[in-house]
Amino acid sequence: MKDLTMANFLNSEKLDLSFDNLTLLSNERIEAYKNLKTIGIPSKRNERWKYTDLKNDIRNINFSLCETSIDIKNSSEKIEINEIDYFTNNKDNYLKPIKYLNDEGVIYLNLSYSNLFRVITIKETPKKPIFVTLETFGKGMTFPRFVFNILPNINVEIHFLIRGGDGFVNQLIEFNIDRNSTVNIFRVNESSSIHSETFMAYLKANSNLFLNNLSLPKNKSRFQAFNSFEEDFSSSSFKSVSIPFKGCKDDFLVYNNHLSSSCSSNVGMRSILNKGVECSFQALIDIENKIKNSKAEQDCKAILLDEKSSMNAKPEMKIFNNDVVCKHGTTIGSLNKDQIFYLNSRGLSKLKAEKILLQGIISEYISDTSPLFNFLPESYK
Amino acid sequence: MKEFLNINNLSVSVDEKNIINNLNLKINQGEIHAIMGPNGSGKSTLSNVLAGKDGYSITNGNISFCEENLLEFSPDERANKGIFLAFQYPVEIPGVTNINFIKTALESKREFNGLDPLKPGDFLKLIKEKAKVLGIPEDRLKRQLNVGFSGGEKKRNEALQLMMLNPSLAILDETDSGLDVDAFKIVADAVNSTRSKENSMLIITHYQRLLERICPDFVHVFVNGSIIESGGPSLADEIEKNGYERFNNG
Ligand SMILES: Nc1ncnc2c1ncn2[C@@H]1O[C@H](COP(=O)(O)OP(=O)(O)OP(=O)(O)O)[C@@H](O)[C@H]1O
Ligand SMILES: [Mg+2]
Repeated sequence: MKDLTMANFLNSEKLDLSFDNLTLLSNERIEAYKNLKTIGIPSKRNERWKYTDLKNDIRNINFSLCETSIDIKNSSEKIEINEIDYFTNNKDNYLKPIKYLNDEGVIYLNLSYSNLFRVITIKETPKKPIFVTLETFGKGMTFPRFVFNILPNINVEIHFLIRGGDGFVNQLIEFNIDRNSTVNIFRVNESSSIHSETFMAYLKANSNLFLNNLSLPKNKSRFQAFNSFEEDFSSSSFKSVSIPFKGCKDDFLVYNNHLSSSCSSNVGMRSILNKGVECSFQALIDIENKIKNSKAEQDCKAILLDEKSSMNAKPEMKIFNNDVVCKHGTTIGSLNKDQIFYLNSRGLSKLKAEKILLQGIISEYISDTSPLFNFLPESYK
Repeated sequence: MKEFLNINNLSVSVDEKNIINNLNLKINQGEIHAIMGPNGSGKSTLSNVLAGKDGYSITNGNISFCEENLLEFSPDERANKGIFLAFQYPVEIPGVTNINFIKTALESKREFNGLDPLKPGDFLKLIKEKAKVLGIPEDRLKRQLNVGFSGGEKKRNEALQLMMLNPSLAILDETDSGLDVDAFKIVADAVNSTRSKENSMLIITHYQRLLERICPDFVHVFVNGSIIESGGPSLADEIEKNGYERFNNG
């Protein structure tokens, strides 16, 4: 294994195929790497998402792979799990993530270096959720890639738990959701690595993708999703609660590409910022001229509990027709004093009142019956 | 008779603007006092100051409650010591269910007074009973606190909290405003039913018809931040007939 810094590795002229066996799928990787070199790793300068400087963040990461464990628990025989052979047998699938989006450095980074593959094909509605745990160890980096192929008429719940590490994780997860299927995701991010994760979803007619996210990063964390509504009547709803640890950072970016008519998308974030943390919310909606009857919502609520913390919100809509119902709203501020006083006046201490108000905000997305509830920090339960 | 509230030469300003001027008011245990006064005269300011809202500067005077200096206590301490303010404009609190909120409030008061929390069954029985008296349907107890409640529903919910918390000094800031004719009677009678020798009340209202039903011991006319005349219920009748003109003219 080579011992280079990330900076060196990004400056090298061509993909070093001797690095941990990248020769498999080498043509595809070389193509991806060429693009990575042109676009670059996301930095504040070159990126459309303005709040992450991944390039700077990973400058001092060791260019060696770190130990990565992927644990998938499922109870159904109708779920098939493949690894790299899925791509070596069908090379066209390898570069699918750039089908609609060919200017994202984070995606090319994964496509250049993917080191772990899990391709999960779901053929029947499983009785229980699928549990996926990704844990990393140490200061190196890792580039896992997941593909979920969901056949028609399936209803599946997938739980992701991400944790550990002290390096850099660049993870890519694709969802191919066939007609009339629904995927409900519960994701918990407790990563202590610099974490960059990309969801790419392709939705066929009448399919739905729901994300319920709880992000509790202990480092810099960036989540981005690109949903492509390939056929009519598909929908997505992405809701994230973000409570970063002291001094940490959390970015949440969702891009909904309404390629078909009668689709609906919904993106929301609730974040609680304390002790010098920084969060960003970016939602982009793209609706072309010929697309009819779209619905799109974006909303972001952030509570700043101290003056050192900051929140950036950037809802964006690229809408080229009138046949759209759109809603968006952003509120950033401290807790409402009148609400605190009302609770105080009923005998609740200031601390208790604040806790109740914060719980109230979180409970808009995570109720006490949600699988995410138990992962909330004690003070918010 | 035990002295509950004693407001002594109180002056309060907001943003350098004097709102309460040299106010004196004493309320003993078991007494019901009513305050009537024109819009903007400072009635809500007084109730907020009593409940401990910040943003007001006390430029003169003092307030004692049960012979302790009230101004030293935080709003929650005041509440736990027995002061309750029914808000003129109750605040909406999303994400918190009405019933859980009332339970937490009751528990916090009981804890302060060294009592164990009510058994869940007993609490439920009590709140359902009180809600019934006030004509509050049970599903409203499960809704988020005041969120989307109509004006009248909010007021009834304040009355519910009053009945559940059973304070020693209840301050009702226009709890009767915004209620329809039937609700008005229900709420007035419910408030009246909490009346006891143990507790006292300060009722702020614009309407003599409330005082007809509740029959206060004292009626005070409040103009420009101070009480300019005190008397019995007949004073309310006079205001109902003639308005505040006589008082404005000094
Ligand atoms: N925070 C504040 N900043 C500036 N002015 C204030 C503030 N709070 C109250 N006031 C002013 O103080 C005066 C008294 O207001 P208050 O709400 O106490 O009146 P009120 O007697 O309760 O009137 P109403 O009968 O309409 O409820 C008003 O002129 C009001 O505008
Ligand atoms: Mg008022």
